Amino acid sequence: MDHLLPAEILEADRAFAGALAACGDLDALLRLKGAYVGREGSHAARLMELLKAAPKEQKRDLGAAINGLKQQWEEGLKARQTELEAAKKNLNALAANWDPALPPPAPAHGALHPLNRLMDRLVEVFRPLGFHVEEGPEVETEAHNFDGLNIPEDHPAKASSDTFYLAAHPELLLRTHTSPVQVRTLLRVAPSLEQHGGIRFLAPGRVYRKDEIDPTHSPMFHQVEGMLVGHGIGMQHLKGTLEYALRALFGPHTEIRLRPSYFPFVEPGCEVDVSCPLCDARGCRVCKGSGWVEILGAGLLHPNVLRYAGIDPAEWSGWAFGMGVERMAMMLSQTPDLRLFFENDQRFLKAMGGLD
Amino acid sequence: MWIERKALAAEIPAAAALDTRQLCELLAALGFPVDGVASREGSEVLDVDITANRGDAMSHRGMAREVAAKLQQPLAPLAPAPLAEGAPKVEVRLESPACPLYATALLSLGAGGTPPEPQALLRALESSPKGLPAVDASNELLHRYGHPTHAFDADRIQGAVTVRWAKGGETLVTLDGVTRTLAPQDLVIADQAGPIALAGVMGGDGTKVTEATRRVLLESAWFDPKTVRATARRHSLHTDASHRFGRGADPAMATVARDLLVERLQAWAGATLEGAWTAGSLPAPAGSVILPEALLSRVAGEPLQLDEAAEALRRLGCRVEARPEALTVQPPSWRHDLTIPEDLAEEVLRLRGYEVIQSVLPPLEGPPQPLAAGYLQRQALARRLAHLGFHQTVTYGFISPEADAAFAAPTNGPEGRTLVNPLGQEYSVMRGTLLSSLRAVAEQNLRQGAREIRLFEVAPTYTSGPGGPVECFTLGLAWGGTLGGEDYLSPARRVQEADLSGIALDLGLASPPEVRSLGEGLFGFELPVSALPLAGARIIPAFRPFSRFPAVERDLSLLVELGQSYEALASAMRAALPQDLLQDLRCVDVFRHKSLPAGSQAWLMRLRFQADRTLVGSEVDGWMASALAAAESLGAKLRA
Repeated sequence: MDHLLPAEILEADRAFAGALAACGDLDALLRLKGAYVGREGSHAARLMELLKAAPKEQKRDLGAAINGLKQQWEEGLKARQTELEAAKKNLNALAANWDPALPPPAPAHGALHPLNRLMDRLVEVFRPLGFHVEEGPEVETEAHNFDGLNIPEDHPAKASSDTFYLAAHPELLLRTHTSPVQVRTLLRVAPSLEQHGGIRFLAPGRVYRKDEIDPTHSPMFHQVEGMLVGHGIGMQHLKGTLEYALRALFGPHTEIRLRPSYFPFVEPGCEVDVSCPLCDARGCRVCKGSGWVEILGAGLLHPNVLRYAGIDPAEWSGWAFGMGVERMAMMLSQTPDLRLFFENDQRFLKAMGGLD
Repeated sequence: MWIERKALAAEIPAAAALDTRQLCELLAALGFPVDGVASREGSEVLDVDITANRGDAMSHRGMAREVAAKLQQPLAPLAPAPLAEGAPKVEVRLESPACPLYATALLSLGAGGTPPEPQALLRALESSPKGLPAVDASNELLHRYGHPTHAFDADRIQGAVTVRWAKGGETLVTLDGVTRTLAPQDLVIADQAGPIALAGVMGGDGTKVTEATRRVLLESAWFDPKTVRATARRHSLHTDASHRFGRGADPAMATVARDLLVERLQAWAGATLEGAWTAGSLPAPAGSVILPEALLSRVAGEPLQLDEAAEALRRLGCRVEARPEALTVQPPSWRHDLTIPEDLAEEVLRLRGYEVIQSVLPPLEGPPQPLAAGYLQRQALARRLAHLGFHQTVTYGFISPEADAAFAAPTNGPEGRTLVNPLGQEYSVMRGTLLSSLRAVAEQNLRQGAREIRLFEVAPTYTSGPGGPVECFTLGLAWGGTLGGEDYLSPARRVQEADLSGIALDLGLASPPEVRSLGEGLFGFELPVSALPLAGARIIPAFRPFSRFPAVERDLSLLVELGQSYEALASAMRAALPQDLLQDLRCVDVFRHKSLPAGSQAWLMRLRFQADRTLVGSEVDGWMASALAAAESLGAKLRA
């Protein structure tokens, strides 16, 4: 009976199954329904006009053909509607059609920021040695940021070309290192130091220096400060602790090297190198062929730092270290540009930060 | 600072035997890491990093002293023929304690220029020779011996030379051609007519040595470091001389450097000495320092013999006297940094080598402290959000005033949080909101083609207060774009405000947060972390019994007005039901369609009952009737 039907209707019928499957939601299905069986302008409406105009002897056969088509369309639409409604109500209609050969859906996952992840890791590394976390404000006083750390009155770091100051509060600045947390903590614990048997802590946090933004500089960055005060503390304790921590971080074969250096708040002071974790100290681009990378600055607490907090340096001694988190993150990941850490592209965060 | 290999070997002959790598390692082990090695003028130069406390090491001689002490090899003698001093040819008056010593000499220049060797050395050290022997010799001496000297054109000096504080309003045109207005805290060299040099920083243009200069007056003095630093900073004039005086020059070198300079001018330029004399005297040396054996051993981490320590300190030029259980140490005139026993202990360790320090874990002297609840809360919050699909961002704590005003509380004015010296306007306010930063990150990600944005940051925000900005750890969250649709089981849809409320409530917020629009299809909220519950003090909460009997679930389809408050309806229904048996009541579907009466919608409410017994159908029917009646009292109708 198909010979009775116009070519475009036959074409539409052939396309029906595909169009039906392509309907992703009920709105699309409604539009398809309108196009095939709607009251006006649809294929079915055209067929009814055709039937009306057909010669009498064709009417029966044509009518049967038209009814067959319409019924087929309506059944298809209805079935798809049921299916889509089921899907909409999350009744696992699609799950029933799950093809085990298809890749399974991946759950959405986010990421911690790589800098936070690295700081968390450092805290984990020091926890077994009895270190806890101390924190302090980012807006600090000049006294905590400089004076309490044996930094001389006319030190260039105090200049407004190096340090950000608050307009309405000239004595306040954005801390230039995490070391003021040392000062605050020592001032707080000084009266009960004996009772607690000294103190040991890490101070991770954000710091600010007036550097223009470029691939290796940022006006805000992160440091992790470590500090220990006890009886009879010497360089061997600093070295022992850092050797433990850096091996926990980079692997048991890691070697460390202390070199003399100078920071006003420690005496003796040192820079600490670690055997290059990227090439196993064989020499690579990161360690510039030397097998060593500089990782942090450290030293025994300057007696003036203890005195400022009211702690007697004849009885107590200690050490401190400070580590640049970005620097370490860039070294470990070989990220070429510091700005990537503050741009926060989700692709970067997912790849670099991830989740434990 | 650049160090030329041959010039170093001229001071410490034993260094010639080291190859470059050995020398670099030796210097690094002494605290002078080498940043780079270059080849210039046919010689090898090392870029040596010198810490701010070691002004004495800022020369070839200074570096040689360190190498000699470490290698236990002798320095080359430093022996100019001492000049016979005579009566002053020009009167020199010292009027300030900031200049206790001023050695000088007057010479007539003959014929001759700077020889090629010193010119090559200066070029290798990136210092261009001027072809004027007095200038080049002074420069060469500075690099070799670290003591800055200066030569004036003697015929352009009027009357006596005075070292004094500048008078307010005085000006000086320095060698760089800049007119400097002087402050009363600036130390100057002046003649009868006024200042002719900024002491320890830079000479004056009016008295500089030129090709026409016939007679020179030399200056080799000692200036107070603090004064020089302040003047250099005040005039933003950081010179080779100010670096060395500012970090503490060796006062004992003043006359030696003058003699060496005279010697060079005689040799290079056929100069004739008309007279040499010195005003003032050496400043009193700092007192001696006592190094107790106990302190030394404590710092070193092992018992050290005082003999060994004394020997090391002597190699560094200290005068050492042994006492019972301590050393009395007089540091050399060039080591201003050795002032406390710890400084001396460091020197002993430095010469022994830090590599011999043992590794010992410090014993616990008391119980460790727990991690603070607030720290743990923030850490757990970040991990939880990351597991929920959000990306943790780190953005700058300062933003532009406009970005701040877009979301910060209107009561939180920016004035108390503004920086006086920001990097720029866009980084000038300590932020009162995280949402502007998150919006900027979201926009950047959308430009990069991200379909869905899921971001959060946990960072301080600032509130202006009378004593300064008050910091408050804040959670900011941004979510937008298209959710799902990335696989065949999850239909795609736009992120809705309700999704953000759902997250906040799930995190434990007591009531839905204020969700703000951050742009087309992008939403955000922020709240103080303290608004979220802390993890309970109990590791495991107290046991609460639950029923093992089957629960009964019933649906109620209600026709309600489009403006109906859900919370009002749900509370009314809850109130009508037995509290201990109603487990849950929620709306599970909303239906809006033209087939419903105008102005109404259908809510499908699902109720769940459970008791410590099997519930009977009739009692549940009764409760459902009560629930319906409560709903009807608010105008709802049962949907037929």
